[in-house]
Amino acid sequence: MKKVLMRIGCILMQILYAIGRFFKKLWKHKQGRVGLIIVGFLAILAIFAPLIAPYDPYDVTQRAAKGLLPSWEHLLGTTITTGQDIFSMLIYGTRSSLSIGLITGIVIAILGSLLGIAAGYLGGWVDTVIMRIVDVLLVIPTLPLVIVMTNVLGTSYAVIVIVFAAFGWTGLARVIRSQVMLIKNANYVKAAELAGASKWYIMWRHILPAVSNLLIMSTALTSAGIMVAEAGLSFLGLGNPEAISWGKMLADAQSSGAMLFGHWWSILAPGVGIFLSVYSFMRIGLALEEILNPRMRKGSNMIKVFKHLNNTYLDEVFASMDDDSKRRGEYQPPAANLAEVAVTDAAETKPQDPNAGPAADTTSENFEPAEKETGETA
Amino acid sequence: MKASYVIKRILLTVFIFFVVVTLCFFIPRIGVTDPASRYYPVQSAGMSDDVYEAIKEQVRIQYGLNGSTWEQYITYLGKLFSGDLGNSYQSGTPKVIDLIADRLPWTLVLSVSNLLISLVIGIIIGTMAAWKRGRWQDRALLNASTFTTALPAFFIALILSFYLGFEWEIFPAYTDQNMVPNFDWSWKAISTVAYNAALPVFAMAIGGIVSYGQSTRNSVIAVSGDEFILTAKSKGLSNNRVIYGHTLRNALLPIVTQFGMNVSGLIGGSVVIEQIFNWNGMGTLFLTANSNNDYPLMMGIMIFMSAFALVANLLTDFVYCLLDPRVTLGGR
Amino acid sequence: MKSLTKKITALALGVLLLSGTLLSAGCATSIAERRTDTSSTLYVGYVSSAFPTSFFPWQSRDGIAPTVSSMIYNTLFSFDEETGEYLPAIAQEWCYVDKQGNPLVDENGEIDYQKVEDYYAGNDTSYMVVRVKLFDDATWSDGEPVTVEDVYYTFDVATDNALSGHAGALAWTGDLQHTSASGVLQQQGMFTYAHDEWGRYPYAEDEHDTVIYLHVNKVLGAVATLFTSILILPEHIWKPLVDADHQLNNQNPTEEFTEQYENPVGCGAWTLNTQQSSSQMIVLENRGTDYHLKDKEDPSQPLYKVQTIKFMLYMEQNTAIYALLKGYVDMLDVSMSSNYKNLFEQEEDIQMLEVDGTSISTLVMNVNPKPEYDTPMRTVLKNSEVRRAIALAVNQEDIIASVLNGAGKPASAGLMLESQSELYSEEANILSGEYTARVAEANEILDRLYPEKDKEGYRLADGARLRFEILANPAELELVSYLQRQMQQIGVEVEYKAEGSMAEDTYLFDGNFDMTFQAAIFNVSNVDVMYRSHFEQVDSRSSNYGRLMDETLNATIAAMRTSLNLDTKYALTKEIQKLIAEEYYKVPIYSSNVISVARTDRFRGYVASAGETAFNTDTLEVLEKVV
Repeated sequence: MKKVLMRIGCILMQILYAIGRFFKKLWKHKQGRVGLIIVGFLAILAIFAPLIAPYDPYDVTQRAAKGLLPSWEHLLGTTITTGQDIFSMLIYGTRSSLSIGLITGIVIAILGSLLGIAAGYLGGWVDTVIMRIVDVLLVIPTLPLVIVMTNVLGTSYAVIVIVFAAFGWTGLARVIRSQVMLIKNANYVKAAELAGASKWYIMWRHILPAVSNLLIMSTALTSAGIMVAEAGLSFLGLGNPEAISWGKMLADAQSSGAMLFGHWWSILAPGVGIFLSVYSFMRIGLALEEILNPRMRKGSNMIKVFKHLNNTYLDEVFASMDDDSKRRGEYQPPAANLAEVAVTDAAETKPQDPNAGPAADTTSENFEPAEKETGETA
Repeated sequence: MKASYVIKRILLTVFIFFVVVTLCFFIPRIGVTDPASRYYPVQSAGMSDDVYEAIKEQVRIQYGLNGSTWEQYITYLGKLFSGDLGNSYQSGTPKVIDLIADRLPWTLVLSVSNLLISLVIGIIIGTMAAWKRGRWQDRALLNASTFTTALPAFFIALILSFYLGFEWEIFPAYTDQNMVPNFDWSWKAISTVAYNAALPVFAMAIGGIVSYGQSTRNSVIAVSGDEFILTAKSKGLSNNRVIYGHTLRNALLPIVTQFGMNVSGLIGGSVVIEQIFNWNGMGTLFLTANSNNDYPLMMGIMIFMSAFALVANLLTDFVYCLLDPRVTLGGR
Repeated sequence: MKSLTKKITALALGVLLLSGTLLSAGCATSIAERRTDTSSTLYVGYVSSAFPTSFFPWQSRDGIAPTVSSMIYNTLFSFDEETGEYLPAIAQEWCYVDKQGNPLVDENGEIDYQKVEDYYAGNDTSYMVVRVKLFDDATWSDGEPVTVEDVYYTFDVATDNALSGHAGALAWTGDLQHTSASGVLQQQGMFTYAHDEWGRYPYAEDEHDTVIYLHVNKVLGAVATLFTSILILPEHIWKPLVDADHQLNNQNPTEEFTEQYENPVGCGAWTLNTQQSSSQMIVLENRGTDYHLKDKEDPSQPLYKVQTIKFMLYMEQNTAIYALLKGYVDMLDVSMSSNYKNLFEQEEDIQMLEVDGTSISTLVMNVNPKPEYDTPMRTVLKNSEVRRAIALAVNQEDIIASVLNGAGKPASAGLMLESQSELYSEEANILSGEYTARVAEANEILDRLYPEKDKEGYRLADGARLRFEILANPAELELVSYLQRQMQQIGVEVEYKAEGSMAEDTYLFDGNFDMTFQAAIFNVSNVDVMYRSHFEQVDSRSSNYGRLMDETLNATIAAMRTSLNLDTKYALTKEIQKLIAEEYYKVPIYSSNVISVARTDRFRGYVASAGETAFNTDTLEVLEKVV
């Protein structure tokens, strides 16, 4: 019993240390600092919302007249249907948006890494089954599928997290799988196998740390994507109706005819909120990518991810986070500005073929950073 | 491209489609004992139980929910092969395929216009940015792309519809349902549709242009590196031709991929935008089906969208192979 | 490269020019058809997901279909809410007759209910005889005259399940004592000149085609649905088509059926313009003087003053309102929320009509759940004292002021509106009175039953907080939050619970809920059916969500239904209201007004009676075109 507790304590310490290290690196990175500041600001708003917001939008006694214009009492006026203070709703909205994004991102990270590592390392039928599932999920249009699931299962917080996670892990799994398949053949792994280590042990102690960078990076980016998707879902009226979220504020503004009345602020404000949260997570993800993988700083696949965040939803997002195995091998010196980042080769961006593993390109020089990391934690 | 690869790919596609269809059949039946129970009418007083049972059976037949689940599944598959996606629950139970056919062209108007505009303008802008690498055009594009990726498309659409639609009244904020009651290919009809479609397409294309632009710029630079700029500055025309021929062909690969993905998302991707502008396409059809719990219609649309995506993926794969024969897809 | 740039720029300019002309052309010709239309065409906006293309009366029950069907087809009579009388439509008059066919009327020719009661109450027959006389100049839109054979055929087919696909049974012919099966007459309950083998009843020389006798159940309400809700079908069209293999309400219609569904031949005042109608727009043309009913003041003029009606489909209410503001439609057949009042007050050309509503929104409490759905909280609700306390704590004025912006009225606990002058019972209005006094009384009751309170002031029952979940849809969230505040004053907690997903579809009918909202409409024409549906029927899909089983109430309802004396009937209805009020089962929350808008730049004179939007038959009768 004591041993188990000590094991858990050790792992926690390791995780905390790793996180601390990341924060420090992020801070140093110029872009990362911006992201970190914005996220910190939003987190403060979320945690201390009751103290910061002038009114409590959940409290019925604090309702004012409906559809008021902005004034000193109500900085952004009140809503047309219920008379709630829009500024307070904006602040409380950070809670729901940030929490859904983060939690779903973490769940996707866990799911995706589990399945990706299993598929990549164990191979065989496990691999085939998982990849087929990924194919099926990628083909079905994501937003309609999510809508159907909320219709059948209801629209509570838990259902939304589960549904997004269940359909969002595919891209991550593929990326991790392809990286695992490369690592699989590395020397230290072979050595561990020869020494008789069990598969689970290898997956846990060698493979997982090797992909941890990728994992952390994608958690940030995934969270960004989920926040946009969730905003879209609540905009359609299918999110949790009791929570105050920015998507729902936009939906209410539109359905109550704010545009007919000319209340542009009630539309602009939640949009700015969404923008800030997504942008900050994006920045952090990008910065992490630059920090963690100097060789991979071509960063292109991540940039492509963001292009797709804009006008399509999850399936495009994740489909483009694909094998970084095919690369043209152009090395660029470290650049602080994204403008300097060059894109990698074309083949890398091809997302469709599930079987396209690391076949075409097995030059091992690309994988030293991974090896180095595992070298540290081994 | 090997024939075996083609066949394998097609078989895979069929298999995936089959799985999707099965999923779509069972999802509405999750946790429900009698899917028709919500449609039974009230048993009026004095109506004997036999009569009521007969009425319930009639209702089940009307909605295609009679027989055991397995029987329904087989009938469903059978109908699917003949292209019948079932009947919607709307009054008059029209065929799902008719409803989809009615609305599909409208969604395509938006999506295809968006795709074409984004593609053409994006490539042009991207090439220009690549050529002027490091200068303000390039940086502007980069800023625009980071900006638009963090802004959800529907928010851009809302802002546009508010200012251009409500305030300044340049375009209609809500598209008129009856813009063209009977579409003939006359100038009047086309211009009316174009006028109404302008805002939705514009809203979608902003992100699309920037996205294609950034990809083009990146891939053009990657493919040719500094050679591109050096050679571009040289005066040899034939050299230019060679560079362009070689460069563009390879630079196009990521564009093709992105294009392929956009094509597969052609139908399902505009759900929210259509709702904002009340554009009568597949997206709004799906949303109203959802609010009416019209499961055959919802599932029919999903199957249709998936089939479309599958075919689009297949075609993209083949095009890709043609463009870059080095890539041996599927073969190890 | 420079030449390429030049080429691209030239191309871009060309494209811009082209799209510019395209868009401006579109701008000019689109949408604003109405603005330049000087004909007598009324553009009505309607909010729905789609328009039907088939207007067969028994098939289409939702959206705009019933409205349009009732304009293309006609019933025998229409019901006047205010006077409680049947107004002529296809039929001009009716009365009760005795078994020889002699009318039971007084010296003015009006129905004498005393005579009716005297004759039939003691009588040993199980039915009453009703005589209906049609207009002799009513015609179908294809020119054929409307005769009693059409009425006979319609009712006959309605009772014949094999021919009508059970749809007829749903048309509420339950009180007509006539059945057929598969085209074979089982029990004759209707008699016309052509269908009266033994000459039971008298038909004058000129009445062969216009008089029909009906056998109905011995309740005064038996004629209500027969007269006002069954749309009459043309026999000459349907009889040749319909048989057991080709049912009337066919879901897989043959071509001939579809042809008839989509090109309806009706006897109403309007015909469907099938060329111009589509899934986005429905065009109705006035039959003008072809229609047998004429203007009340000037019989040479048609009854309705508008030549054409165009229904325009809008998917969303805001789109419809936008269209109205922009002048794309004349009016909206939509009842809108009071939040929009500010939007219209400034507009010059827009008239806003606000009338009383006819429905009462109630809070329904589960009084008798099925044993498998019984929970401790629902057991608490079984006690009518608790329900009384909750009912007392509902502050209707507060809710009307905040949720409805004042556009509504408090409703009596008897669930009858004051405007129903014949039926309304002031004695049943037991939940009125000053709010603070009511809250005090409620607290008094609950102090006796559940004196313990927890830290936040909520009462405890066996250590568990008194907490009820209200099943509601997201639009009712605001209402729930106001109720929360009100219930907090008596130490009860209520919470919003989202209405279940499909799996829980039967929750309302099995009593698997604590509380929910329901709208109730009770008036002279529907009390017979509605009281039973709301308070008596159990174990079926009726409106009696909480499964109330009160014997006294049921007995009173039965007595009210079967009484042949109108005065007794009304007295019993008042009695029922008191009983309902004291159950505290459905507690009134408000009765909201109906707000509708119309433009006055092309037409003037919109009117609306209680519960109606600006689009109604009265408006169509008096509308004037602004020249």
